[in-house]
Amino acid sequence: MIRGLNFLLLITSVLALVGVYTLKYHTVDTANEKLALQRQIEKQEADLSLLKADWAYLNQPAHIAPIVRRHAEVLGVAVIDQAQFIHITDIPMRTAQTDDDALTELFKSLDAGVDPIAALIEASVQ
Amino acid sequence: MSMMSTEAQELISLEGERKTQRNLTHSRIRWVMLGLLMLFGLVGGRLVQLGYANTDTDFSGEERDLITATRPAILDRNGLEMALDIRVPSLYAEPRRIIDVEEAVEKLTGVLPELDPEWLRKRLTGDQGFVWVARELTPLQKEKIFRLGIPGLDFRTESKRYYPASNEASHLLGTVNRDNQGISGFEMHLDNEDVALLQDLGLARDRTLEPVRMSVDLRVQHALTDELADSLVRYQATAAAGVIMNVKTGEVVAMASLPDFNPNEPATALEPYEGRKGARINRITAGTFELGSIFKTITLAAAIDSGVVKLTDSFDARFPVRFGRFSINDFHGKHTILTVPEIYKYSSNIGTIKIMQAFGAENYRSFLTRLGFDDPLTVELPETTRSNIPKKFSEVGAATASFGAGLATTPMHMVAALGALVNGGHYVPPTLYPRTEAEARALSRPVVSEATSAKTRYLLRLNALEGSGSRANKIAKGYRMGGKTGTAEKVIDGRYSKEKNLAIFASAFPLDAPQYAMVIMVDEAVAENERSGRTAGWNAGEMSGRVVQRIAPMLGILPDFDTNIDLALVPMELR
Repeated sequence: MIRGLNFLLLITSVLALVGVYTLKYHTVDTANEKLALQRQIEKQEADLSLLKADWAYLNQPAHIAPIVRRHAEVLGVAVIDQAQFIHITDIPMRTAQTDDDALTELFKSLDAGVDPIAALIEASVQ
Repeated sequence: MSMMSTEAQELISLEGERKTQRNLTHSRIRWVMLGLLMLFGLVGGRLVQLGYANTDTDFSGEERDLITATRPAILDRNGLEMALDIRVPSLYAEPRRIIDVEEAVEKLTGVLPELDPEWLRKRLTGDQGFVWVARELTPLQKEKIFRLGIPGLDFRTESKRYYPASNEASHLLGTVNRDNQGISGFEMHLDNEDVALLQDLGLARDRTLEPVRMSVDLRVQHALTDELADSLVRYQATAAAGVIMNVKTGEVVAMASLPDFNPNEPATALEPYEGRKGARINRITAGTFELGSIFKTITLAAAIDSGVVKLTDSFDARFPVRFGRFSINDFHGKHTILTVPEIYKYSSNIGTIKIMQAFGAENYRSFLTRLGFDDPLTVELPETTRSNIPKKFSEVGAATASFGAGLATTPMHMVAALGALVNGGHYVPPTLYPRTEAEARALSRPVVSEATSAKTRYLLRLNALEGSGSRANKIAKGYRMGGKTGTAEKVIDGRYSKEKNLAIFASAFPLDAPQYAMVIMVDEAVAENERSGRTAGWNAGEMSGRVVQRIAPMLGILPDFDTNIDLALVPMELR
């Protein structure tokens, strides 16, 4: 019985040893992986900060204005003139109401195949 | 039998002894095993317990190098970045690990020619563990130095402050030194405020600092800077400056002073401009000037507010005012009897002195105090100065001060005072932080009555329609702008120069519901062409008109050509 127990203990010891060492190496690998990821994050953060700075630079009025000025003639842009602003109330109301019945008649005749404009053209040709 | 029995007895006893011996050993082994099992069970249990324990994944308290200390991004009121951090590589060396110094020096100067070989040699010899070689390199330079393969050189990432607008808003933002500490402008204010404290506590290490918003609108700032730069060319001026403030909230929307500098290269702030040293100061908050006739606005408002003078009163402006040996005359004199609006419109010195005398010199001095001219500026910049006004006015001093000579104030004080006079009579301290109207109301203090404010608005508008502000009004038609010019002769070698003057235009718009006050200065302007004049209406005035025309649409102010608006500004007693 003792011998059997010893044998069992020996087996478990070897297994435990193997397990501990694999775990240790696995931990080292994970730590390295983590470090690599941290490096990558840091690098990407640096890149991102540069890209953000670029974006901010490209959005500056100080950067855009000279470009606009260079192409002002082609684009036809200028400082907005006061006369270009108009209030909604300044827009005149429609002078006459549309003649709904006449329009309905017209659409009906078009659907029926009567084309008044074609008739006019034909009349002018003859 | 007995023999047998004794032997048997012995045997038995022997057998019993061995048995007990064996039994004892067995029980001992069992005890030891039990002990070991308990010991291992204890260790195993503890391991399981550790396995279940939650590890702390929050490293915010982790110590990082001070070198990577970051600053919050600075945004304008629309969220556009004005200052932000970029991460750049910096080169350092460990001299004790460098094998061949000569080779290292030779190779390094090949990539970085700006380094002095002698200095570098000294730097790399010795057995220190760490010396900086070159900071804030470009990624390309880093790559090249890597390729050299010199042992004992390495990089670390640092934060560098970057200002995407470079010169624009330079006086507002200020700049930082190599270690990212603010050394001027708003950056320095931030440090004094809280960032430095955070860095000391080690809390600013994580790169999640809240961005700081300013009250500045970059679009308006650009329009203002652009027009100022244009005036330097158009009027061959030596300097120009301007500030725009929201009169309801006290927010500074734009502030620029030319010549300026590039905050990305802090050394440029100290460069001479056209041979003159110290020309790049912020003239708006750190320079005091005699602002001239603009003060007539304040004098009239003070007198009207006290009730001593009414708009319908007339004053005799036929003869110069005499003080012993001195006499003060009008610049373009009408030499008649003038009403109060006419005195303002024709910018009569004589009439203004008479109004001030009716009001009283003492009262006038205390009114200047009430308008905040004696207080230090509230703007969040370290480069501020106090206005220079005599504590007590003599008789002559009060007379000249009534039309703005003999007292020097900063344009910032002026714009704040003007804002108080047009916005209904509440003085709001100017700020660079965003502020709501409710907050501003809590901070404000009444200085003049609502009625006086309405009359001041009328006077400003009148001057734009019929007086020296007409050139500005022509350009900014429809935006109901009004303002007062000031042309101050500059003191050169201790006496007033006839040649060189400072032109100022203080304005507000739209006057039917004032929103923005503006002060523009042009220094030593010359006439644009033969047909134009040199006084403020021609340069600072026209410029203000152009600025208003550009910024009004951005600030949501629509033009209105209704003549009834101007009629509505006329006070009852004049209709």
